[in-house]
Amino acid sequence: MIVVDALHKHYEVHEKEPGLMGSLRSFVQRNTHTVRAVDGVSFELAAGEMVGFLGPNGAGKTTTLKMLSGLLHPTAGRVEVSGFTPKERKTTFLKMITLVMGQKQQLLWDLPALDSFVVNQAIYEIPDDQFKATMAEFNALLDLDEILRKQVRKLSLGERMKCELAAALLHRPKVLFLDEPTIGLDVNMQVRIREFVAEYNRRFNATVILTSHYMADVTALCKRIIVIDKGKIVFDGDLAQLLEQASPNKIIKLELAAHIDDAQLASYGILHARDGLRAEIAVPRNETSQIAARILTELPIADVTIEDLPIEEVIGMVFAGRNMREEPEVSYAPGAE
Amino acid sequence: MRQVLNKSRVLLEVWFSHMSAYRAEIVIWILTGSVPLIMLAVWIGQAQAAGGAIGEFTPQRFTAYFLAAWMSQQLIVSWVSWELDFQIRQGTLSPKLLRPLDIFWEHWFAHVAERFIRIPIMLVVVIAGILLVPGTQITPDLPHAVVYFISIQLGWLIRFQIAYCIGLLAFWFDQATAVDELYFVIAAFLTGAFAPLELYPPAVRAIIEWLPFPYTIYYPVQILNGSIGWDVIGRILLIQIGWGVAFVGIRRLLWRQGVRRYGAVGA
Repeated sequence: MIVVDALHKHYEVHEKEPGLMGSLRSFVQRNTHTVRAVDGVSFELAAGEMVGFLGPNGAGKTTTLKMLSGLLHPTAGRVEVSGFTPKERKTTFLKMITLVMGQKQQLLWDLPALDSFVVNQAIYEIPDDQFKATMAEFNALLDLDEILRKQVRKLSLGERMKCELAAALLHRPKVLFLDEPTIGLDVNMQVRIREFVAEYNRRFNATVILTSHYMADVTALCKRIIVIDKGKIVFDGDLAQLLEQASPNKIIKLELAAHIDDAQLASYGILHARDGLRAEIAVPRNETSQIAARILTELPIADVTIEDLPIEEVIGMVFAGRNMREEPEVSYAPGAE
Repeated sequence: MRQVLNKSRVLLEVWFSHMSAYRAEIVIWILTGSVPLIMLAVWIGQAQAAGGAIGEFTPQRFTAYFLAAWMSQQLIVSWVSWELDFQIRQGTLSPKLLRPLDIFWEHWFAHVAERFIRIPIMLVVVIAGILLVPGTQITPDLPHAVVYFISIQLGWLIRFQIAYCIGLLAFWFDQATAVDELYFVIAAFLTGAFAPLELYPPAVRAIIEWLPFPYTIYYPVQILNGSIGWDVIGRILLIQIGWGVAFVGIRRLLWRQGVRRYGAVGA
């Protein structure tokens, strides 16, 4: 369905020193350098797959999505979406895809959202009965009834995002590019949007690429993760596999019944955090049950839980190119002994 | 065909709703485009000082000319270069590029819809002008008015395409709208908004005839006022079509080349 092969996007960027002298100098001679925003990215997606696209700011996620949707022309490499070359922007291709950008809008600002929906119906040539059926479905999933007739500029951010999403999916695209669709939304709205996207994927077998800084978006929706950093892919596979690879340890969280000193705790594994009677110990995954059993027999324990490292930390480590074995972190809360 | 008509109807309705919200601003924008009306006062004063006429231009003839020139200027007004410049440089073009509709049509229908709001206000000013200078005859008969209607559409086609091309320069330059401001200054002199081209030196007039500017305002005005013969009118309409087609070609070329360079800025 989607084939990306050795994709590159390079930008010429002008540099200028601040101030008047800088402006005068750049008037005569401009310094430019090349930014390799996407630097040899390759992956393939099957129809109906939902993939999370993760990376720090400036990694190249949004640039890749813009090339996949035809907004940007690649510098080099091949992109194919369902047999189409996106940059040609053929009508059939455009009717098949959508790109939702959390910070950009397509709704007409001074008119009610419904007017924008009617315009999209005409532009995408959606028959009346399909339009009505789709609106009914979206109303049920997103509660749009009360807000459709309000001017877009008078909607709250959450209401506007719901309308933007509905407008972007009105033509029932088979390929969804979602670029930070839940940015700036409250927790309840994020959950609503996630449920909507999951339901849309189920109902229409849509292929979805989702970028987000909220791990909850990714863990809720995607089994497969592509991690991109500095324009290159650093990981492509199962989320569970990523956790195992990047973090070969699990965390045993203890609530102690009596004070135990750090040295003794560190004999069980890597002391990850300590706060009075609370402690977190990182232990190798395959030894977790043995070590946990030892701790329970040998130490005074009030409560114990066993967890994976928080996924945000794992991704952060992938970006930074570190892993737990090399640089353990120990943090102390104020007032600890 | 049915889909084309449906899209046209929907776009026109939506942009009419949008423009209706701006009707107060449209009145102000009409008033800011008043160079011909100011020049009318100046030239009437000159005619009276010169003993009643300058060349063949009596105050009545000046009034007929400048009212028609003002009306024509209102009918061809195009702000699309500013819109395009903003959309390209701010990245707000992106959501529009994702839709299966050439963004040209959105801008076109926005302008057409705005015209419907502008025309009633404009007619009030023209009628007031005719009444204020007794003996003014803006058009000799209905056929001239009908052909004027066709000619001014062609004049608008030329002006709109030029403005669109200027807006597309934003794919290459940071300040494409500066070119539009330059156009505005040049157009004031060369379109006949400043003075009837008959009053220009013959050598200058000969050069101007080779440019598109007089075909946006001056010649439609001449048709409306009945100042040129029917044989000449036919030639003028053909030249207008020629300029229109030429600028459509330039626009399409600029778009194809420019969209490759589009940076789609913003998250």
